[in-house]
Amino acid sequence: MVFVSPDFSRAMKDTKGSERGYAFALPRLIVRLTGRTARRAELSRWEAYGTGILVFGVSCVFAARLLLPLVRLGPLQLLALLLLPFGIWVAFLILYFINAQLAAVLRRLGLYAAVTNNPLQHAVIMSLTTLIALAFLRDECDWVKLLGAFWLALLILNLTSILVEKLRHEP
Amino acid sequence: MTDSRRWFHRFAVRGVFWRQYLDFGLTNVPFYLRPVMIFFWTIFFFFLAAPERRAILSNLRVVLPGSNPLLNLGRAWLTLYNFAWTIADAADHKLAKTEFAYELEGAEFLEQLAAAKGAILLTAHMGNYDLGAAVFAERFQRDIRMVRAPEADAETAQHLDESLERAGAGAVKVAYNTASMALPFELLNAIRAGEIVSIQGDRAVAHISQRPARLFGEEVMLPDGPFMLAFVAQAPIYPLFIIRTNFHRYRIIARPPIYCRRAERGREAVIEEALRDWGRTLEKVIAANWSQWFSLVPIFPAR
Repeated sequence: MVFVSPDFSRAMKDTKGSERGYAFALPRLIVRLTGRTARRAELSRWEAYGTGILVFGVSCVFAARLLLPLVRLGPLQLLALLLLPFGIWVAFLILYFINAQLAAVLRRLGLYAAVTNNPLQHAVIMSLTTLIALAFLRDECDWVKLLGAFWLALLILNLTSILVEKLRHEP
Repeated sequence: MTDSRRWFHRFAVRGVFWRQYLDFGLTNVPFYLRPVMIFFWTIFFFFLAAPERRAILSNLRVVLPGSNPLLNLGRAWLTLYNFAWTIADAADHKLAKTEFAYELEGAEFLEQLAAAKGAILLTAHMGNYDLGAAVFAERFQRDIRMVRAPEADAETAQHLDESLERAGAGAVKVAYNTASMALPFELLNAIRAGEIVSIQGDRAVAHISQRPARLFGEEVMLPDGPFMLAFVAQAPIYPLFIIRTNFHRYRIIARPPIYCRRAERGREAVIEEALRDWGRTLEKVIAANWSQWFSLVPIFPAR
């Protein structure tokens, strides 16, 4: 727990207002390059909402590209588009459950020891989204191609930032 | 209750299944997908939790007079969305000791509370009171006795007790606000022993001591137990609220203490005055943060 108020009790861990917490290496590196401090923490709304909407959006676009050619009528297409996010939500719930079972098996075999299943879920979700983004690059629609390229660019930049952090021995 | 009915009861809105599922979610959903998941779960509960939705709507009609009923449906959804975030954050702190950032309003009063030898922390069903109590106890190394309204479901109550005690590393002890005569004495002893007693003072449940008070121009029943306790123990009452401001960010609002001093006037007059003070404080905080008032039962008289 971090208390950002500068006048707060000495019993609290006091952080300077300029310090920021990011879970991903890319924003941490950008902030450090601008001369400010940044550390590893899940405190950024931009990361949480931005990444979440992007991951979910990529899945929705992928499902819509598969589903819409099967639905011919305009109103039915609209209905399908309205219901699609709910379907993707349910699909994510099923995916979490399957991954949790996989984590349980890996734990029993001594191959996975993290406190929560989040790292494994993160790896699976990132891999699936990257596979979808790769498929988007071969799509005939320009904006879908662009979406795939945007995801891949973010991924490459983030992986590079992780490497830079390692080389600079930054936490 | 038959076994099959008891089994189905687990899936009711306040059933233990959803609390356990929340724990599953927080240990399995990466942080960046939680906003999306909570968004959809809120839609689900907006329809499933019809009595709670109606209660929020009836409270909103009074808090925001003249508000559009259709817009109030959106406001009720937003209130449930904030509620989902606060219970998720409290569980996240319990399970993964996740970091949260805070800003303070009224830091001097919180410092006074931390240093007080026996005090009452008066709060409301607002923001993240569970997380706040756990963090306060942990950071200031103070024991907190938290008084809660009894849960409708026994398994949910047990799950919540365990969660709170685990989140507060054993420093938060839960007591239930029931008709029992033992509780006031237990709380009085705790205050006299220098502990902090946390009570939610915005909703009076049946069979507990209460009296009429004014809130948003309406007569409501508020619990008077905290004020009687303050009068007998001669302990200060610190109004405190923990409001969610953004993703993993909260604002602690501490207000000036309310005193129930014995020497001033008769007991009834002192308690009435303190209750009026509390009503004014509550009104200001609720008016500014209506989307985080999680009083999921109707507070105001039906119109």
